[in-house]
Amino acid sequence: MALPERLVREFDELVKKYPEKRAALIPALHRCQEELGGWLAPQVLEDLSAYFQLEPVEVYGVASFYPMFRLRPAGKHVVSVCHNISCELRGATQLLEHVCKLTGAKPYGTSPDGKFTVWPVECQGACANAPMFDLDGVYHEDLTPAKAEKILGGVR
Amino acid sequence: MTKITVNGRAVEADPKQPLIAACHANQADVPTYCYHPGLTPVGSCRICQVEVQQGTGPARVVVACRTYPAEGMVVQTESEKAHEVRRECLEFLLKNHPLDCPICDKAGECDLQDFTYTEGQSAGRSHEPRRPLEKRKSLGDVIVLDEERCILCSRCVRFFEEVTKKPQLTVADLGSRSTIATFADRPLTGNYQGNIADLCPVGALTLKKFRFQARVWNLVKMASTCAECSRGCSTTVEVLRGGEVKRFRPRDNPAVNQWWLCDTGRFAFEHVNAGERLDGARTRESLAAVAELLAEDPAALLVASPFCTQEEGALILGFARSRGVQAYFLSPAPNGLKDALLHTGDPCPNRRGLTELGFAPLSPAEIGSPKTLVLFGERSAELCGTALARAGRVALFDCHAAALPNVAASIGVPTHVERSGTWINIDGQRGVLGAARPAPAGVRPLTSLVPELAALLRAQAVRP
Amino acid sequence: MRKFETWLLERATVPNAHTLAVYKQLGGYHALSKVLKGEKPMSPADVVNEVKLSELRGRGGAGFSCGMKWSFMPDPQKDPRPRYLAINADESEPGTCKDRVLMEQDPHGLVEGALIACYAIRAQAAYIYVRGEYRLSYQRLQAAIDEARAANLVGKNILGTGFSCEIHMHKGAGAYICGEETGLMESLEGKRGHPRPKPPFPAAFGLWGQPTTVNNVETIFNVPFIVARGGAWHAAIGTKGSKGNFLCGVSGHVEKPGVYELPFGLTARQIIDEFAGGVWKGRKCKAWFPGGSSCALVKGEDLDVVLDHDSLKTKGSSLGTAALIVMDDQTSIARVMEIIARFYDHESCGQCSQCREGTQWLSQIFHRIATGQGQPDDVATLESLAKGMAPGKTICALSDAAAIPTLSAVRLFKDELLECVKQKRDTLPYPRVEYAGAH
Repeated sequence: MALPERLVREFDELVKKYPEKRAALIPALHRCQEELGGWLAPQVLEDLSAYFQLEPVEVYGVASFYPMFRLRPAGKHVVSVCHNISCELRGATQLLEHVCKLTGAKPYGTSPDGKFTVWPVECQGACANAPMFDLDGVYHEDLTPAKAEKILGGVR
Repeated sequence: MTKITVNGRAVEADPKQPLIAACHANQADVPTYCYHPGLTPVGSCRICQVEVQQGTGPARVVVACRTYPAEGMVVQTESEKAHEVRRECLEFLLKNHPLDCPICDKAGECDLQDFTYTEGQSAGRSHEPRRPLEKRKSLGDVIVLDEERCILCSRCVRFFEEVTKKPQLTVADLGSRSTIATFADRPLTGNYQGNIADLCPVGALTLKKFRFQARVWNLVKMASTCAECSRGCSTTVEVLRGGEVKRFRPRDNPAVNQWWLCDTGRFAFEHVNAGERLDGARTRESLAAVAELLAEDPAALLVASPFCTQEEGALILGFARSRGVQAYFLSPAPNGLKDALLHTGDPCPNRRGLTELGFAPLSPAEIGSPKTLVLFGERSAELCGTALARAGRVALFDCHAAALPNVAASIGVPTHVERSGTWINIDGQRGVLGAARPAPAGVRPLTSLVPELAALLRAQAVRP
Repeated sequence: MRKFETWLLERATVPNAHTLAVYKQLGGYHALSKVLKGEKPMSPADVVNEVKLSELRGRGGAGFSCGMKWSFMPDPQKDPRPRYLAINADESEPGTCKDRVLMEQDPHGLVEGALIACYAIRAQAAYIYVRGEYRLSYQRLQAAIDEARAANLVGKNILGTGFSCEIHMHKGAGAYICGEETGLMESLEGKRGHPRPKPPFPAAFGLWGQPTTVNNVETIFNVPFIVARGGAWHAAIGTKGSKGNFLCGVSGHVEKPGVYELPFGLTARQIIDEFAGGVWKGRKCKAWFPGGSSCALVKGEDLDVVLDHDSLKTKGSSLGTAALIVMDDQTSIARVMEIIARFYDHESCGQCSQCREGTQWLSQIFHRIATGQGQPDDVATLESLAKGMAPGKTICALSDAAAIPTLSAVRLFKDELLECVKQKRDTLPYPRVEYAGAH
């Protein structure tokens, strides 16, 4: 197994930004997660370690440190609901409850149909427009349960 | 050298070594977990906190492993404040640490036990359940990991990175979810795994071969030297009452093995525990038989085991010279275990010493078919291998019998854990052996047997 | 409506201000030109002096003098190694959403600031470390850099002056601790974001061991204005010890949460009432955080304190990131602290014993108190544990950041917490979701 050629070429450009190749590891992990199924399988970590001339255990140590990297498969769509203080003060708990009901997923879980993973997250920097969630990398802010329903309902 | 004060005493400190080294060298027993002199200091466990004061500034609490001596520094390791912050630190470490002492192999040599005893508080305050993690995670053939006991000092991670130069472990996840892990549950590899059990300050990493084998306070310990190659790493031999060697551990030696031991050497104690020893019951008759063989064949081939000490070698060489023959030592081929760290690949612990005395090396193949072959020393029969059968008659001084028809006489000798002596390693460093337990009843060392053999021969020669 | 000069958000509301064309129309890159090839070109030392004169303090939470931090960089004659500017765009302090506004809506402002700052500290390259979740910020900044490069404003021989400077975007991946300057550097190097013990400081041992200055987005954003109008101009605005304008993010129980550009000198009450529409639903304020969750809580009755560095000290708190979080009189302090403590437990890197275990322990105790499972000694234990976690006992200040709000909650709301314990319930219960798994 090896990384797809298009990603290798991308990484070859990426590493030029840094005096040491390893600095491109976290951006590369992002790209792999985005392009290779929405998570980082052990094989992907091993392939990356070969590219960066590291031991697989080193790449695993890095990947497992960062909350944005998923080391287990997720649903087709990931809904990250902030449950930190500014969002909580404006109804994050109710929003999270509603999102779980709408999707059928438990917090930190995936819906039985595999469509949604609902993940409570820490402060996302949308505090003045709380509550919010991030759906597949896009912020949706100033949410109400009704707005959430509309947004999630429109997801294929 | 820099002049500092430690607990009121003026001392000289190496400014390139962290303060903790100066403390330890001057009777200031500051506790440590993540710090180890053989690894890069990281300053993460925070237990080595001491009070430091410079010039007119106020005293401040620092970690001694990441602070460097400066001229005029005043260090207090036993102040009330120092003890207070260490006590706090210990309480945090004990919060999740399981109360496994009654079943934990590390009990009796555990830094968490020891420092809690000296610095900790007597009661815990936590109402919280301890985090449940894997308690017997196999990391391969050598090591078992108990994730619950781990205090995340990261010594094991740094050992593989910095000493073997091949990372095999990492801290996985972060914060209170951190664990030590390999990649994809793969087993550890390499010949240095056992060192992480020594390094682990608690019972998180233990040796499968020592698991539930002994309480360490029941072990009798003797300084010695490893027998498995010509590196001659300094070791401690640890024997359980009753006589079984339960462990070999490395002994600090900056000139030879620093703090480390390879697994080949570490687990070689199984050899010395092997049963069916040649005993000392018939030594006198056997010695007489050997003397007769030697009297009949002035050209008898005298071959020492490469395990012979300098003291034994000097006597064997003297004996050979008195007979006008060259003395040899068995020199088997390199065993392929040579690595970049310690193992030399040469299974002869005293090659250099015996060579310097005047012995010539002899590979098993070169033995040929002598009429009489005398083998002096432990493992000599084993090292000869198939060559032994080709000799006419064999007189064997060894630990175990050789079941061959051409062995005319066998005399038991002590193993290297049952006698004292000196070996010289590949670099000319002296390694001492110490008797950690007595040899089987009646078994005498070569230093006693060879002079007696020589005396017997002299007596025979005088007889008409 | 109170009137005062603004500059930080001036361009942000103009349509397409994130494009080079509009940015230039609004006066962008004028400051850079002035520095490099104005009537009186400025030397790097001149720029540092101007910033020192301005008394600009870091806007990332620590409030350290920007000019002084720049002056820590070694003399290039004595230390000719490559050197770097790292811009901390990891904005993750709860309640804080101000850098995001600047990056999304005025990215060239940051690019210009980065160029001038690199010039001042004689760095050849800047890395902008953006938190992984801020995708639009990253895109806008990357596009701005590309536009600037095409216009000879980034790269080699900028504006033909011989000054060369690269700006690179870099992405984080969701760890708050990577907003700590040495955690940021470890992360940028492709490792786990473990903060480094200090000393050595970044100016001596930074990215890849080389001299590095780490600055917050808003701090750097101020630099072109200071250089264009002079440090004295900046130092004339604000209060003693807190100069210039700052971006105040008001969130929580107010009618109009938002990011507001304000001069130092206004009280929290003035900010809330005149800009954020007042406490919502006609309620009173029970408690507030002045600058994110890493500072001490302040009681609602103490809203008449000026929101600046020195004044907040008199209330036992600090300015932090100026993220003003307002909690009304129906708020459960136990519930608030449960969330805050959980946050630090989630974010601790785990190196230091006190922080790794302490953040979890605090989180567990607050959780029990808030869910009616408090024990009689819990409040005393919270205080004692927090004292064991701070000050300055760990590699970085996350341990302090968890301890400080805890100590303030015990100091100011002990009775409420004790009542939760005694009543075996959260006295102002929130609806809660049962968490199924790890956090």
